[in-house]
Amino acid sequence: MTATPNTPPPPNANPTTGAPAAPDTITLIIDGKSVTVPKGTMLIEACNQNGADVPFFCYHAGLTSPAVCRQCLVDVKGQPKPVPSCYTPVADKMEVFTKSPRALDVRRQMLEFTLVNHPIDCPICDKAGECMLQKHYFDWDAKLARNDGVKVKKDKVVDLGPHIVLDQERCILCTRCIRVCDEVAKNHQLEMAQRGDHEVLTTAPGHRLDNPYSLNTVDVCPVGALTSKDFRFSMRVWELSTTPSVCPGCATGCNVEVHHSRGKVYRLIPRLNMAVNKHWMCDEGRFTYKRVHKDRLAAPLSGGVPVEWDRALADAGRLLRAALDANPAEVGVVMSAQSTNEDLYALAKLTFDHLGLGKAYLSGQDQGWSDDILVSADKNPNTAGAMAIGAGRLRTLLDLANDIKSGALTTLLVVGTHGVLGKDGAPGALPLGKLKTLVVIGTHRDAVAGAAQVALPLTEWAEAEGTFTNRLGMVQRIRAAVPPAGDALPGWDILSNLARNLGATMEFTDAKTVFTEAKSKLPFMKDADWGRRYLPVQLRFAGTRG
Amino acid sequence: MSDLDDHDSNLVPPKRRVVLGFQDVEDMNVPDLPTEPLPLNMGPSHPAMHGTVRMVMEVEGEKISSADIQIGYLHRCFEKESESATWTQIFPYTDRLNYISPMLNNIGYAMAVEKLLGIADTLPERAQYIRVIVGEVSRITDHLTCLGASAMELGAFTVFLYALKAREWIFELLEEICGARLTVSYLRIGGVAADMPEEWGKELLAVLARVREVMVDISKLLDRNRIFRDRMDGIGLITREDALAYGITGPVGRSTGLAYDVRKDHPYLVYDRFDFDVPVGSVGDNFDRYAVRVEEIVQSMRIIEQALAQIPPGRWMHPDPRITLPPKAETYNSIEAMIAHFKLIMDGIHVPPGEIYSYTEAGNGELGFYIVSDGTGRPWKCRVRPPCFPATAVLGKVLPGLFIADVVPTFGMMNMIGGECDR
Repeated sequence: MTATPNTPPPPNANPTTGAPAAPDTITLIIDGKSVTVPKGTMLIEACNQNGADVPFFCYHAGLTSPAVCRQCLVDVKGQPKPVPSCYTPVADKMEVFTKSPRALDVRRQMLEFTLVNHPIDCPICDKAGECMLQKHYFDWDAKLARNDGVKVKKDKVVDLGPHIVLDQERCILCTRCIRVCDEVAKNHQLEMAQRGDHEVLTTAPGHRLDNPYSLNTVDVCPVGALTSKDFRFSMRVWELSTTPSVCPGCATGCNVEVHHSRGKVYRLIPRLNMAVNKHWMCDEGRFTYKRVHKDRLAAPLSGGVPVEWDRALADAGRLLRAALDANPAEVGVVMSAQSTNEDLYALAKLTFDHLGLGKAYLSGQDQGWSDDILVSADKNPNTAGAMAIGAGRLRTLLDLANDIKSGALTTLLVVGTHGVLGKDGAPGALPLGKLKTLVVIGTHRDAVAGAAQVALPLTEWAEAEGTFTNRLGMVQRIRAAVPPAGDALPGWDILSNLARNLGATMEFTDAKTVFTEAKSKLPFMKDADWGRRYLPVQLRFAGTRG
Repeated sequence: MSDLDDHDSNLVPPKRRVVLGFQDVEDMNVPDLPTEPLPLNMGPSHPAMHGTVRMVMEVEGEKISSADIQIGYLHRCFEKESESATWTQIFPYTDRLNYISPMLNNIGYAMAVEKLLGIADTLPERAQYIRVIVGEVSRITDHLTCLGASAMELGAFTVFLYALKAREWIFELLEEICGARLTVSYLRIGGVAADMPEEWGKELLAVLARVREVMVDISKLLDRNRIFRDRMDGIGLITREDALAYGITGPVGRSTGLAYDVRKDHPYLVYDRFDFDVPVGSVGDNFDRYAVRVEEIVQSMRIIEQALAQIPPGRWMHPDPRITLPPKAETYNSIEAMIAHFKLIMDGIHVPPGEIYSYTEAGNGELGFYIVSDGTGRPWKCRVRPPCFPATAVLGKVLPGLFIADVVPTFGMMNMIGGECDR
């Protein structure tokens, strides 16, 4: 459709250029700039997507807007008062001024109100450094206090639930946490009580804050009112670095940021991915980082004694070679649904292509609880990848136990020991003692590694580069956030070295070469992308978290 | 002595030779013990090398035929280190550039950041005057140290003690104003850390009067001292062309006749309000460099006296709360000031993205800071142009042809400061 000088422009035409807009979009003017956005967009989104930088506390892209904080007020031509942009849908030909003197002034006054009763806690507050109140005050006000009245005293340490502590004085009453419980966890556990400057956040009658998504309230809290019992007082946030990765807790594969410092992981934070986890992740997933630093197998063991890598690999090779020479039909391999696609591909290549073994089993954590929000019953991050790479050749752990008991299997190579012995991890679940030879490539000092003749240390998910395939079949990249524990090596690397000791040729130089080869061979990975190289960003430089 | 250079091809065989003594010019032209060029190391740790620098020279007897000046022994990663420090945290690093006149480094760095921030024109006047005063005081200590140390290396130990005595009086005054004699860190982005103490100006004037007396004593000891003059006059000649080609500024550049002084040619702070002269040399030898420094001390005192007479009352830090820390009492008692303090200390002052080259007249000449900001609280790049770097570089050209004994006064008069040259 072409606009000619004789025909009037269509009603939703761009006011400055006169060009017609698509029927489901709206054109408005923000700070003198003509902007076209989809119909139904909130004004604050239209502003911030176009660089206007409107501040906010209570608005959250993943939640409804109650417009309680009044921090996103902007001037709209024709309106008698500034309007809350988080609560105002865009309208045609709207003329918006985000930095008019009046808008700036009312926002400053709101900040002043918010700060009147805010405690002087920055030096001891966990949120300091990623606090939105600090950021907005310094960006938009930065004036000294005009008021030296006595601040209202409230409770400093309120135990809300198993994971969370509330400091009512720090709370700025934005109600984001209430909406997270209501809208994400679908569980009304938090409420506001009292009025005016005595208003406080509290649990709903008869409730504690114990829903499986409760730690999301800590993420959305713009100040340090809600803090995680696990993280509080453990680290100043600006000292942390962030590495993007994927949670290994279940088959959902929530995208996370691993926050770490000096080789130690301190917390996991959900990373926005609208196709998988949106803004959120479950509490259970947040604690998967703990296993990275607990009971790790740090050095290769041969006969229970720490030895050099060369010696351990030679011993493992000799044991396996002897068993293969004696009777290859009695040799089996256990693959893990906790391993990356790259480790699984290297193991499958060694097992099926080079050694021609017939006995392969799939291990993994036992099934657990699930819901229809995020949590999956399959507690392994890469079952889909393992099944696809195994291509029907993998049998179950029950088959493994039966084969060992019947004597059909005398030699076993286990790569990844999570869940091999079942949920309780009791050594009796699998009759490992009946095996003649047991070689383990594992992450932890558990009963499986303890029963092995040779145990080789494997990197945990936070130490490895690779990909997981989630329950939707999406191949997602994980990245090494911290250096490996002790002498641990990635699985593909150990298997390359082991292959050499077994007389097979399988040379992989880094995880990306494994990925590239796997991608060319495996149909489920054909659209996968390795992504660009990523150096950890220190949060103080990131500028994204307050 | 120039006869030494005029080798008569009839008399001197192509072989190298050493000169054993020189009672008579004739003696020197007589070929005697045949020998080979000898490599000679001076430094990096040598009592007469005040600065860790290494000179690998090739000598023919006492005469230097080539000199290779090797720097870097005091490299401290100033520039890389600055990239992970906030804009304010860099001040202590700049103290350690030219550590004889740290205030001048503070000024050079602060002005570069202020220009990037766009507050260079709105600095409080009092802060600018204080900067001029402490800067010129530091220039005096810089020159006193250079003169005293060089004189001592030529045997005039008394001059060294006199010069350092005077320097000490000034250091005590600096201690009064900022708490440190040397590692001052007195400047801040947007002003200075604290006001001048009361009566400080009067104490300074009294000290300057005593420094004047010391300067008279030093002049009496050196100016007509035969030993001193013999080792300074005509030694270490630098031509104006070489000075320009190498980019030499400051007293060394001015000794060659180049009347370039950033304070005069590109006035900054309030230097355009003072009446002072820029001394220049006529020959470009070591004695000219000595004389220029002596005169610069006198001119610095003139500037200080005028500044103390003109200095207005008022604030000494920029009023912008996003640049200046709130008062401590406010910080501990109000959340607003606490947040401002937190953001300024932990995040740093947010300097708008851009790049700048800013230059000031430091003790050794044009001290330049090339700074790139990406909008965060830390510089993306912070490069220093050290004024003694070109002066040290030219030694490789100046030294050949001189005697080993000439190295000491020539190097001394370049005033190479390891902290500044190597960064």
